[in-house]
Amino acid sequence: MNASGIKLGLGLYTTLFIVFLYGPLAVLAILSFQTGPEGGPQFPIIEWSTYWYKHLFGLTPPSRIAPLPIEQALVRSLALAVMTMIVSTVLGVTAAQAFRKRFRGSGVVFYLIVLGMMVPGVLVGLGMALVANTLGVDRHWWGTAFVLHVVYTFPFAFLVMLAIFNRFDPSVEEAAWSLGVTPARTFRKITFPLIFPGVLSAMLFAFTLSYDEFSRTLFASGRDLTLPLAIYGTFSVEVHPNVFAFGVLTTLFSFALLGTYAVLMGLSVRRAKRMAIQEEA
Amino acid sequence: MTMAATSHDTPVETAAPSTRRQPDRTYWLLAPGVLWMLLFLVAPILMMVYVSFWTQTTFKIEPTLTLKSWITFFSSDTYLGALWTTVRIWLIVLVSTLLVGYPAALFVGLFVKNKTLSTALLVLCVIPFWTSFLIRVLAWRPMLGKEGAINMILMKLGIVTQPIEVLLFSELSVIIGMTQIYCVFMVGPIAFMLGRIDPSVIEAAQDLGASFWRIFRTIILPLSMPGVVVGAIFVSVMVLGEFATSAALSGRKVNLLGNIIVTQVGSLKWAFAAVAGVVLTILMGAVVAALLRVVDLRKEL
Repeated sequence: MNASGIKLGLGLYTTLFIVFLYGPLAVLAILSFQTGPEGGPQFPIIEWSTYWYKHLFGLTPPSRIAPLPIEQALVRSLALAVMTMIVSTVLGVTAAQAFRKRFRGSGVVFYLIVLGMMVPGVLVGLGMALVANTLGVDRHWWGTAFVLHVVYTFPFAFLVMLAIFNRFDPSVEEAAWSLGVTPARTFRKITFPLIFPGVLSAMLFAFTLSYDEFSRTLFASGRDLTLPLAIYGTFSVEVHPNVFAFGVLTTLFSFALLGTYAVLMGLSVRRAKRMAIQEEA
Repeated sequence: MTMAATSHDTPVETAAPSTRRQPDRTYWLLAPGVLWMLLFLVAPILMMVYVSFWTQTTFKIEPTLTLKSWITFFSSDTYLGALWTTVRIWLIVLVSTLLVGYPAALFVGLFVKNKTLSTALLVLCVIPFWTSFLIRVLAWRPMLGKEGAINMILMKLGIVTQPIEVLLFSELSVIIGMTQIYCVFMVGPIAFMLGRIDPSVIEAAQDLGASFWRIFRTIILPLSMPGVVVGAIFVSVMVLGEFATSAALSGRKVNLLGNIIVTQVGSLKWAFAAVAGVVLTILMGAVVAALLRVVDLRKEL
């Protein structure tokens, strides 16, 4: 058998595969440095410039290309993501805490929760719009769209916390209880520090998923746009490199978020190690 | 709200014996999440089914039950065409993500022995998910366009003399875009299953003189099937619920059921949108049920 030949071939293929994954994003990043306002979203690059980045922040003289309506949208998206993150994480932690005990109907409840991440946004979004219409409730990003964002992100938080609790040693909690510490204090002093890395991951999931979510938002938020809706709005009109510049910036923002997460995670792991060493000494 | 709804199935706290307290606590912890899902997930879906039987007038819907919207849906070429397009694009994307993703998963899961390297490769595949989905879709426009990167490279290399116009704003561009966006959902589960294959099984087959093709067919492929099914479920659910990729890359030439729902809601035809939604739900349920039939996941995982 010619295994090394096959391995080489598959290795080359995987390299091509990664080029396939990253190629369009690389092209988009390059074209965001096209000159403006006459340069279009295509090759060749007439002249390298940061015109479209300035255009995003309204630092260029007015031209026929309208600026993206991102300022308000960014604030809304961030607020929505933070609200969603808090509620999803709390719901995820409490539900996963309940799943540590066996109880009747746990299968049904599990599937009910997981359904939230499986049902496509078009369907829940449409359903929510219909419910709001029938009840005569106005649709807003902080109301109808927000509850759908939680429906979508709560299952992720729940699954992350379930995985954390699976590896959790309950005897430390039992020790605290048997020493007469109240359950609330035990949770704060013992349980929470132990599950903190999981909580952080759940928060990261909820925030990024909500920040990027748009099919639910499209149906369930009223007139006010969130950031993804502002981008979706450009689909039907001519695309200019300012959208590409925005894509680069929002990608950098996500990486910054990921970096913050990595730093916090590293700190919490280091603290746990230090405490373990102190206990041994 | 939470308390009122659950108080009837949890006994009153007074003098609850300690054996009863544990299940009580479980129900209290579950109540908020379960209630949230019932109110904001189950109720909207049921509402959609209900509204699909309402009467549609020009700008309004009335709760008089009728089958008219359903009859309109199944006697209209536009709607049936959208249903057929949805099924066709779903099947093509399912096959293409499998064909594109499987070899990469084979390399990462089976051929890379170094754990750090295989994790690094998987992370490399996941990183694009930290950029906006819509931006990733949009990124195909400068790639595939008439003056796009691919046409430019092909012309520089002298493979074509004129730019290929069918690359963008066609069914092909939608398929290419969806394949790129969703193939990672195939690679992950398959690589996971392949990583669990005991290497000694493959070594034994090699020692007995089996060719690579034979080993692939009799050992690797069957053992990776649960991964393929999980990946197929992910890809199917997401592709069937799609409308953004076709809106961005097809130039309105490809209309999926999702696009029909968006346009119907835009013109306040709520009942028609609801019918399309119910059809989509049924289609999705059938696909997932059929995929679960292929492999018994509970037994295999």
